[in-house]
Amino acid sequence: MAELTQNEKRLLATLESEKKADAPHLAGLMGATPEAVVQWAHLLEDKGLATVGRIVVKEFVYTDEGKTYANTGLPETQLLRFILPGTTLADLQKHEAFRIGFGQLRKKGLVKVEGTSVTKMPGASTDADESALRNPAAGDAKTKELIKRGILEECETVRNAIAITPEGITIVKKGLDLREETGTLTREQIISGEWKNLTFRKYDVSKLPKKAYPGKIHPYQRIIAEMREILLEMGFEELYGGIVQQSFWNFDALFQPQDHPAREMQDTFYLNETLPLPEGYEKVKAMHISGGETSSTGWGGAWREEKAEQCVLRTHTTSVSIQHLAQNLKPPVKAFCVGRVYRRETIDTTHLAEFEQLEGIVMDENVTFGNLLGILREFYNRMGFESVRFKPSFYPYTEPSLDAEVYVEGIGWIEMGGAGVFREEVTAPLGVTYPVLAWGLGVSRIAMLRLGLKDLRLLHKSDVAFLRETPSLRNTKGGL
Amino acid sequence: MAVITLPYKYLERLTRTDRKTILDKVPLIGSDVERVEEDHADVEFFPDRPDLFSPEGVARAMRGYLGIEIGLPVYSVKPSGIKFTIDPQLANIRPVLGAAVIRGVSFDDESIQSIMSLQESLHWAVGRGRSKVAIGIHDMDTVKPPFHYIASRRSRGFIPLDFSEKMTMEEILEKHPKGRDYAKIVKDFPLFPLIVDDDDHVLSFPPIINGERTRVTIDTKNILLDTTGTDKRAVGVAVNIICTAMAEAGASIESVEIGGIQTPTLAPAERIISVTECSRILGVSLTPVSMAGYLQRMRFGAEPAGADNVKVQVPCYRADIMHDWDIFEDVAIAYGYDKLESLPPKTYTVGKPHPVQVNAALAREAFTGLGYLEVMPFTLTNEDVLYRRMQREQTKGLLHIMHPISIENTVVRTELLPLLLEFLTLNRHRELPQRLFTVGDVVLDCRTHQQAAGVSTHPDADFSEAYASADAVLHELSIDYTVKESADPAFIDGRRGDIIVAGKKVGVFGEIHPAVLVAFELEHSVAAFEFDLRAVPGYPAI
Repeated sequence: MAELTQNEKRLLATLESEKKADAPHLAGLMGATPEAVVQWAHLLEDKGLATVGRIVVKEFVYTDEGKTYANTGLPETQLLRFILPGTTLADLQKHEAFRIGFGQLRKKGLVKVEGTSVTKMPGASTDADESALRNPAAGDAKTKELIKRGILEECETVRNAIAITPEGITIVKKGLDLREETGTLTREQIISGEWKNLTFRKYDVSKLPKKAYPGKIHPYQRIIAEMREILLEMGFEELYGGIVQQSFWNFDALFQPQDHPAREMQDTFYLNETLPLPEGYEKVKAMHISGGETSSTGWGGAWREEKAEQCVLRTHTTSVSIQHLAQNLKPPVKAFCVGRVYRRETIDTTHLAEFEQLEGIVMDENVTFGNLLGILREFYNRMGFESVRFKPSFYPYTEPSLDAEVYVEGIGWIEMGGAGVFREEVTAPLGVTYPVLAWGLGVSRIAMLRLGLKDLRLLHKSDVAFLRETPSLRNTKGGL
Repeated sequence: MAVITLPYKYLERLTRTDRKTILDKVPLIGSDVERVEEDHADVEFFPDRPDLFSPEGVARAMRGYLGIEIGLPVYSVKPSGIKFTIDPQLANIRPVLGAAVIRGVSFDDESIQSIMSLQESLHWAVGRGRSKVAIGIHDMDTVKPPFHYIASRRSRGFIPLDFSEKMTMEEILEKHPKGRDYAKIVKDFPLFPLIVDDDDHVLSFPPIINGERTRVTIDTKNILLDTTGTDKRAVGVAVNIICTAMAEAGASIESVEIGGIQTPTLAPAERIISVTECSRILGVSLTPVSMAGYLQRMRFGAEPAGADNVKVQVPCYRADIMHDWDIFEDVAIAYGYDKLESLPPKTYTVGKPHPVQVNAALAREAFTGLGYLEVMPFTLTNEDVLYRRMQREQTKGLLHIMHPISIENTVVRTELLPLLLEFLTLNRHRELPQRLFTVGDVVLDCRTHQQAAGVSTHPDADFSEAYASADAVLHELSIDYTVKESADPAFIDGRRGDIIVAGKKVGVFGEIHPAVLVAFELEHSVAAFEFDLRAVPGYPAI
């Protein structure tokens, strides 16, 4: 037998003496609303302690007009009271009930009009009409007339007949604890010590809670934060830089030839803005044309200042780290940058025109390509990817270059990002004399895999339900 | 990226080993196997190695890597006795010409396809879409030397490839599919480049199209190669890659005389490189002998030269070797990336977050504490969202993208609030209340800084909520502010405040104007605020 609530017990106790009654009646006895009584009765019915039956009752109710007459009397009654010996028709016409009431009096033959005077017929009375107004009854001619006049309305109401069952009676006979239950525990109850005597209302723990949604950071932000934390732990300094960069820092300083396809309008977002070239840009120019003072041949051909001055939406955050490097020539330099980068791609489920890139550099006296592999292995291990491998690759500003791949159970080897040693053509014009290890990775790729997204756009045009439902701590396994 | 089709039978014959060995090892020289089919594999190579854009080139590299045939491949070149003249008027049009005679080819449909796709890959990777280099291949026996590279009047006509009627060069640019594709390279020149034989037959209208007359068929035995362009080195590399690939396939190469010089020579370039420097960069211990061995497997000529040097002969087809470090990468590849010891650097360093990101994280903490959910909208948007729907004037310093992809993304955002309202539109069907915030970059002129914005929508969202939330976040960030009645038309008059710090407006809050709600198709009131994070004490100058 399920636990009874305080209200169910009270209803049961009330029913035990009433046996069968309708909800308003019970509500009156219990000091509750009929709706609440019906609700409790249904709960008792579920437990087999009561039955809830429907009784359809025909009732007569007053219309708005009828409500008024119930107080003032019918218009004809009002007029009848008004007519005294010597009352003229003109007097009567001033009465507010004249319009309706006079017609009724004439129709019922209760008055006589002679010249300008109005007199009651002998024994004139509207008592029967007034009686029908106050106690309407089905089948009564007067009641029917009042309905016709729009004073009364007939309507059906459903009443609930609530009855106790023998099981209910048994329970009441066994004795019910009818001490009042406490809903909200109040300050007074706590400080007065009254709480010691209280019975607390019990809640049904099998019911689901009302949904509450905490404010929280975006699941994608959480992944970015995790990567930042790992790199800070690994001793990297964080960089932050502008979205708009000069082609010089986005391309030229990275030895990207001026005729490289990636620099074309189809691949990069250009802005109708220019910025003056930094001091010492000629060294970069010389490197492009002839390889400067290194063993490089350079790209040959022309190098135009106007092209380098043009502003673009950065295509990689390397444009930020290269400037940091140019300003920090003393080893060691260990820095990373995470930020939005832009490619002029047609947007679809796996390509966005803007996405986050994470990218880092290490410059030091004796760093090697092997150290670069070590940093990447460490980073991906900490991200939860246990197996990491490297293979040859190509990036215009690194040599040697590599791609890092991680193994994910059920998917296989996944390419995560590129890396390499900055070419001497990149470092020499800046005055950097030590090797610089550089690496980058697409943050959204990991996010897509981890969050199980089929469409990258959802990271930026998110469904609030998705954000609410994605837990802060995800049970990641093998990095995903 | 270039995806190269490698037919197994041909590849196996050229490499002198089985397909499985080749496909297992080919990623280790720098490639991705895209598809493995019944009779061929499609393999993607990097754009810096156009010498691998043919089965012949891949076989040559794999023979070395697998130790089947190592060291420098030597190609003999005989003079053909054929001359080219160059019209000096081409100096400002398309000045560079390379050419060669390739004899004794034996084509079938597949090998013609293979040479055509090499040609196309080179146009892409080396030729920058034919502007820098364009290649023409002709049946040599249909024309008569000497040949002349001339600047021709634009109205001259000939029958272009794949057509049966004579067309003028101007018509070709309009009507021929290749003409339309590449017209932009030449259309502004008063004269057009043209290659003709001694009888004035047209071989080629570079970089657009060859003449039908010299079409290469399975009966072609001897080939004349023409390569024109604007960059001498790029033209030279393209000639070398095609000639050596054809030589690998069994043809013999002959030089032609251009401007008194015999070309091509297919001779290697020499470099003396330091073993110590290579060891230092890679982090492996090398000797001149071991290093020479690795390089020979990568098809370099290499021999120890003294205690610390290796004399390297760089094959003429290696377009990517610009610097000694390019050779170091080949040493690393031959050594094996999987065998390199991967250890993090030993130098002690301390991690340091950037103050901008520290501030951003604190702002996020304050918002989430108030029950706001973070969203990360795109930074590219349009003026309709930023200004028109907001009833606002265009912000000074707005940047337009010169060639946007769509009308949705034409500018870089100058504010965040409009994007949050757009988010509410997107989530109209979701449960209320919705409280959203974002912290991120905006751009004015060419300068980037961070702002923070929040919106709250539910039937009771009002000015008081906007003020209370803004106050809480500003307080958490130690922003000492005052408030002045605002005139921002995005908000209801009398229910809006400007956030003032040190006499300057840094933000705004209030109840969004119903006309703005309607413009964003919203049905409930919105309490909103946005402020500039540069108001945070100690925000760094960027």
